[in-house]
Amino acid sequence: MPKKQKIVLPPELPPDVPDEEIEVSDEDLQFVNENLDYAGFLSSLDTKSINKHVTRVADVKEDAVEAMYERRQMRKKLLDAKDKEENELKVDPVDALPVKTLDGQLFYRTIPKTPRKSDGESEDVAKDANENDGTQTSMVKLTKAEKRAKIKKIRKEAKKQAKEVQTEEVQNASQAEVLDEVKTELTAEEARERMKYRLAELGTELLMDPESHIKSLKEMLDISKDEDLGIVRLGLKSLLAVFKDIIPGYRIRLPTEKEQEMMVSKAVKKMRLYESTLLNAYKAYVQKLVALEQQAVHRRVAVRCICTLLEAVPHFNFRESLLAAVIKNISSKDDVLRKMCCDTVKSLFINEGKHGGEVTVDAVQMIAELVKAHNCQLHPDSLEVLMALSFDEDLGKRESSEVDKKSNAKNSKKRKNFVEPKKLPENEKKRSKKEVMSQTREEVKADYKAASLAQDVAERRRMQSETLSAVFQTFFRILKHALQPRSEANAVECTSGSHPLLGQCLNGIGKFSHLIDLDFMSDLLDYLRKLSGNGSNVVGSSENCLQHLTVSERLQCCIVAFKVMRNNLDALNVDLQDFFVQLYSLILEYRPGRDRGEVLAEALKIMLCVDRQHDMQRAAAFIKRLATFSLCFGSAESMAALITSRHLLLKNVKCRNLLENDEGGGSVSGGIAKYQPYASDPNLSGALASVLWELNLLTKHYHPALSALATSISTMNSANNQVCHSNVSPQQAFLALSREQESFIPPSEITRSNNKKKRGGTSSVSSAGSKLDTVSLVDRNEVKGKLCEQFSVLSDIVENKRLRNELDKTNLSLKLYDQYRKQRKKKTT
Amino acid sequence: MRPLDENETTQVFEKLFKFVGNNLKNIVENPSLEGPDPNPGRYCFRLQKNRVYYVSESLVKRATNIKRDNLISLGTQIGKFTKGGKFQLTIQSLNLLAANAKHKVWLKPTSEMSFLYGNSVLKGGLGRITENINPNDGVVVFSMSDVPLGFGVAAKSTQDCRKMDPNGTVVIHQSDIGEYLRLEDEL
Repeated sequence: MPKKQKIVLPPELPPDVPDEEIEVSDEDLQFVNENLDYAGFLSSLDTKSINKHVTRVADVKEDAVEAMYERRQMRKKLLDAKDKEENELKVDPVDALPVKTLDGQLFYRTIPKTPRKSDGESEDVAKDANENDGTQTSMVKLTKAEKRAKIKKIRKEAKKQAKEVQTEEVQNASQAEVLDEVKTELTAEEARERMKYRLAELGTELLMDPESHIKSLKEMLDISKDEDLGIVRLGLKSLLAVFKDIIPGYRIRLPTEKEQEMMVSKAVKKMRLYESTLLNAYKAYVQKLVALEQQAVHRRVAVRCICTLLEAVPHFNFRESLLAAVIKNISSKDDVLRKMCCDTVKSLFINEGKHGGEVTVDAVQMIAELVKAHNCQLHPDSLEVLMALSFDEDLGKRESSEVDKKSNAKNSKKRKNFVEPKKLPENEKKRSKKEVMSQTREEVKADYKAASLAQDVAERRRMQSETLSAVFQTFFRILKHALQPRSEANAVECTSGSHPLLGQCLNGIGKFSHLIDLDFMSDLLDYLRKLSGNGSNVVGSSENCLQHLTVSERLQCCIVAFKVMRNNLDALNVDLQDFFVQLYSLILEYRPGRDRGEVLAEALKIMLCVDRQHDMQRAAAFIKRLATFSLCFGSAESMAALITSRHLLLKNVKCRNLLENDEGGGSVSGGIAKYQPYASDPNLSGALASVLWELNLLTKHYHPALSALATSISTMNSANNQVCHSNVSPQQAFLALSREQESFIPPSEITRSNNKKKRGGTSSVSSAGSKLDTVSLVDRNEVKGKLCEQFSVLSDIVENKRLRNELDKTNLSLKLYDQYRKQRKKKTT
Repeated sequence: MRPLDENETTQVFEKLFKFVGNNLKNIVENPSLEGPDPNPGRYCFRLQKNRVYYVSESLVKRATNIKRDNLISLGTQIGKFTKGGKFQLTIQSLNLLAANAKHKVWLKPTSEMSFLYGNSVLKGGLGRITENINPNDGVVVFSMSDVPLGFGVAAKSTQDCRKMDPNGTVVIHQSDIGEYLRLEDEL
């Protein structure tokens, strides 16, 4: 540590020390040159204010202080920015006596890094530092240069305030008589400032050289136990920053007693001390975080710290408690907290390499527990995180044989409640056995693991299968819960959204459907069928539970069933008749505003377009129903429906009989000779006996795309098999049209009124209104003139009428008068 | 000709139920379109010489005029009672079953002929199958172009079918339209 000794010259030394005595090592020069940017602030130092502050102190040692400052200014270009800062702020003349070390070397005390510690401790630190050779420290410093620069900036900002505090301290020490006064002036504000500053100092030191300053972790922890909210917050955050940086890339295992008894070298001993201190501090920190997480005041800070920590060092000790805290908040009512936690868990799932997948297993199992504990009443976000999981593609296949063997043994059990995959305990048993076996060679294994980045395949597969089983356990639990009839108690409160998780759960099943074990498949489909099943054959109690599901959810059930089937039963072409029946009736129940159109479009695509073949009867029934459906819904839905029915018509040549104009369907109509629009089963509706008259109406649709499509369908005839497969899926069409819907202005309006204008030479009063809209582009004056003309004509007519009335009246009165005169004449004669 | 007694009705309905499930209601309640009567009657089951017929009511009324010995057939025959008293569906019932079938199997064109000669349906010949078939359910067999070919009994569930080897039996043959040629005399 030659550098430090030189820099901190004691004030007693004469000021005219020749420059050559100050040995500036090459390293230092190089460092300053390399980091000129960081040293730049030195030149902008407010030396005047510093001087002012110092001189204001009525101190006996004023001269000494001044001398020191002068000297420093003289050499400041050469000084390391960091050290200078520390010295400038910290020098206490009382401590500046030379110290003799054990090896007889005389050197001047460096600024104590931890002035509040006992003397013995600080000496220890100094010795430790002394033992370290200079190169190592400089190496550390260089690697940490960036971090330090960051913290330096913060400190620079805090510097001025801190200086005041410092000077006050000096004042306190020197002027005993005003001590009490000053003490009262030391408000809470200043104390806090000091605390902040202290935190920053400790943090910087730790980051600079964690090995020698590991003890200051304790102090930081103490600070964060403060009553002041702000300080606690700052303490937690700075500890977070420190831990994030100094936690090693491996998991610390404390030495066993046996190991402690053994003789070890000095370096190992030191390392052990370091690790155990770090671990203890970390443990205290984590416990504190978990405790604070319960309090409403600190919750957000604590959760943020927990999340960041878990994200940064998921491999380290005590991750279980961190993970537990995160999972607990995953469905918190607070949006911010929930989002934070969800993001953390997602990143855990995505960056599995950081922790080797073990945390994934834990997290998923915890989520499963959470869902179980809350009886499936959680925020949907909490399941959304599972979407971020990824599994090896071949996992399901290779595992399936394994699982088959297991499941055969407990088939009877499974029949009773199928959702409980009993893999977990067995795996645990296996795991414990493994642990016993490998305990002796644990160290070797750990070393090996650290050395070889790649995990062994078996371990990885075991973990993935565990994860998978937990995921499906959750999904199945939710499905099962959705099926359960409501108990009377909460039947009232759950009117809408009683199954918040179901949508996400269905999405998840859809995503991981290729990994589902075949043995669960039939049960899964059974449940999906029941869920999508509607009031057609429900009686009494079952109706109660099913009417809570919205149409979208039921559509989703159908979609998921198809996805599951498609992903797993490629070899065998299975016809999911029941789900078609459900879709057939669901189309009728669909309401454009209430239900989500995308889901419907997706269902149409997956069930009707992608699927390979259909019964003729069923296809006809769907064509008919979709055409009817498209008559009464918005253009986007209609478009999707029409595209689907065109697709069906193209595929099923016989169904084109629907386009012919004779009712009855002839020989193809099958057993049912009459169309029954209310039949619930598409096979029994006898749609082939009907005619697609809807298309004719749709050709007059206000939307040009729709009417064009309807025309193209209706001109399609059974004779020529034209290949005009457009690649637009109903889903795409729906999206395109629903996006367009907001901006869409029916174009027909304009053309029609234009026609009117051309036709009607003498426009009537009633059409003047509509004309106003359209002819705004035309000359305004012309319109004005025309309008004036019209209104004058109109007023003329009114005037004319009035005059006529008057004329009539006078005529009448004249007539009456005549009659009267005649009568009088008669009487007189 | 007489209506079925209770025992016989149960047997017939049980057998039909295996094939059509809840659509049985449909078969019974189907309005008939035969006869000149303004309000269409229903269909009913009649027994004549051990054979069960599915007949519209208007036809039944008219058939009462004919002596039992002279009446050979009326309506659609759907099955017969064997000497042992068991009920058996015959191929004539195929149209009725196909229209209301719950479980269906579609055959690949290559295996159609094999089935029409009276063989069972093998996994290899399976073109498509409805899900959720359990063993011993009645299954109607179609060609790929939806022409009913016959019916039989499922040997395996849909799930099991997936794992089977191509030579395993999926549907055990009961009756097929080839019988119109092969057993012309008996029918």
